[in-house]
Amino acid sequence: MQILLVEDDIEAAGHLCQGLREAGYEVKHCADGAAGLAEARAARYDLLIVDRMLPLLDGLSMVGELRAGGVLAPVLVLSALGTVDDRVEGLRAGGDDYLVKPFAFAELLARVEALMRRASGDNRLVGTLRVGDLEMNLLARRVARAGRNIDLTAKEFQLLEFLMRRIGQIVTRTMLLESVWNLHFDPQTNLIDVHMSRLRQAIDRDFSPQLLHTVRGSGYCLKDPGAAA
Amino acid sequence: MKLPRLFASTARLALWYMFGVVVGVSVLLGSAYLFTQRTMERNVDLVIETEIESLREEFRGGGVKRLVSVLEHREDDWGRLGAAYLLVDRQGTPLAGNLTSWPKTFQANGPWIEFEITLTEQGRAVDHPVRAAVVTLDGNRLLVGTDVSERQRFALRLRQLTLWCAGLTGAFMALSAWWFSRRVADRVRGVAQACESIISGDLSRRLPIGSTADEFDQLAGTVNGMLDRIEQQTAAVRVTFNSAAHDLRAPLQRVRGRLEKALAGAQAGDTTDVAVHAALEDLERVQRTLAVLLQIAQAEAGGAGMPRERVDVARMARELGELYAPEAQSRQLSLQVNAVDAAYVSGHQQLLAQLLTNLLENSIKYVPAGGHVELAVTQQQKEVTISIIDDGPGIPEPSQAAMLLPFRRLERDAAAPGSGLGLSLVAAVVRLHHGRLDLRELSPGLRVSCSFDAAAAPA
Repeated sequence: MQILLVEDDIEAAGHLCQGLREAGYEVKHCADGAAGLAEARAARYDLLIVDRMLPLLDGLSMVGELRAGGVLAPVLVLSALGTVDDRVEGLRAGGDDYLVKPFAFAELLARVEALMRRASGDNRLVGTLRVGDLEMNLLARRVARAGRNIDLTAKEFQLLEFLMRRIGQIVTRTMLLESVWNLHFDPQTNLIDVHMSRLRQAIDRDFSPQLLHTVRGSGYCLKDPGAAA
Repeated sequence: MKLPRLFASTARLALWYMFGVVVGVSVLLGSAYLFTQRTMERNVDLVIETEIESLREEFRGGGVKRLVSVLEHREDDWGRLGAAYLLVDRQGTPLAGNLTSWPKTFQANGPWIEFEITLTEQGRAVDHPVRAAVVTLDGNRLLVGTDVSERQRFALRLRQLTLWCAGLTGAFMALSAWWFSRRVADRVRGVAQACESIISGDLSRRLPIGSTADEFDQLAGTVNGMLDRIEQQTAAVRVTFNSAAHDLRAPLQRVRGRLEKALAGAQAGDTTDVAVHAALEDLERVQRTLAVLLQIAQAEAGGAGMPRERVDVARMARELGELYAPEAQSRQLSLQVNAVDAAYVSGHQQLLAQLLTNLLENSIKYVPAGGHVELAVTQQQKEVTISIIDDGPGIPEPSQAAMLLPFRRLERDAAAPGSGLGLSLVAAVVRLHHGRLDLRELSPGLRVSCSFDAAAAPA
């Protein structure tokens, strides 16, 4: 998996490159927009991570030109501009996700993975989602584990659906706030933890094995017990 | 809307102007009419007086006989001059003149009398008004008069002309007053519309300038110059914002990277691990404060081009109430959401959500255990009100206005965590949406209500 990182802050770029390589990605780094644009056109990358404020050519213009030129690789925009309108601007310019500095590396990694999966066409249009013996019927809006119905609130259902569509992926608290509550700012993020522990009670307490796992320092992960670890 | 009132003021001015001109023209034409009529009457009377004087001379020189012969001579003039003569003796028997008998009915006015005689003209009987003077000569009465029908016709025409002139002037004035006030109202409406869209954030909009270079265009030109300057300054502020955000966040990102690196080399629970986690928590607090501060600044900058959509704040309140319910529960507060089924506001979805979370977080933070928090969304006709009511310590009346400014906190809360930005963001969001914010001290507690214009529900 090839990632192009376009970031003018050399130290920050160094941290990101190191972390991404440790996670198993191949990373190429460019320090300005013009070089980034040339590199993205020259080689095929699976993902682009682009800082918004870049010398020579700003990040959004660079993404715009790439999109106009038919480059479809997913783009994660990094930005020091964090108001909600800045985010909308970033997505409108062709970004697929938007991350405001400063962010935890775990947050970046989770989003990189999510974008990679999305790009690889893992976006199933199905009526039923299944993880182990946990089943979700999207039409009847019902959840059952080992054949036993589980009552969930509307939000718990949405949380579980989000996780079940991302089996084995790490999902951060911010990602949950963004997609389930549509909040693109940062309230006290530990609010999510209480909701997740309720969800865990509902789907895991009376059953085995455990499906919903907490990933320290990152977020949550719904694991398929049948899949090879 | 303010436009009809403005229109009314121009129309009122034009109406008064029109009224003044019509009165002036009427007085002018009226006095011309009266003067002409008086002069004509005076001329007729003068002719009759002169005639009577000359006949009196004849009588003095030759008595009744001479007068009769003179009158018989003058009868021939009837029809050409329109003169009427009649001399009667003491018994009223006509002696001479072209009238057959003394008029039976007449209107007397001093020595003057007015009556009508009936003549046959082209086979039709026509009444002719006559004005005459009567003198007594040795017991005989002499009447000398003249046909005034011509004069009356002229007076009538003059009167009609005067009325037509006054009427036409009035009509013309009404028309031009209407045109004038419409023109002014149109210009003002154009300016007002441009201003409305500038107020709602479109700083690139300019006032329309016509081709006439009149005072409106001059004013619009000056205002546009002012707007250019404001736009430049706003752009400069935005650049400053962005650089400030960048210059603050980029180093925070580096700090974060270093801390995470340090964490990788630490053992869980050792001093480095504890210290780095504490530092990361502080970093997150700084980050949150910075985010809110920049958001306030952006909202206050007018949200140029702010994306607006129909937001169901009632539903939003329910969802956020649900999100915060466990947090309230863990602090032993009862959190209740009382929202109507749906209440739409046209606005910024994320900022309205932030307003609601700030209200909730504020109450949850300050209300002591055992307390109550109620989040309510109501709609009354054209107004949607979001209010939060708690029985916490409240904010004393005198400090309320100050609490809406950034970084203001009550002394009693100085020890509590927080930045004092919560309510100022609420205030900024309310202002951005042209809403109304109301803080009320309850005993005990606080009620904060934000009212917005309701938007129509989507079809």
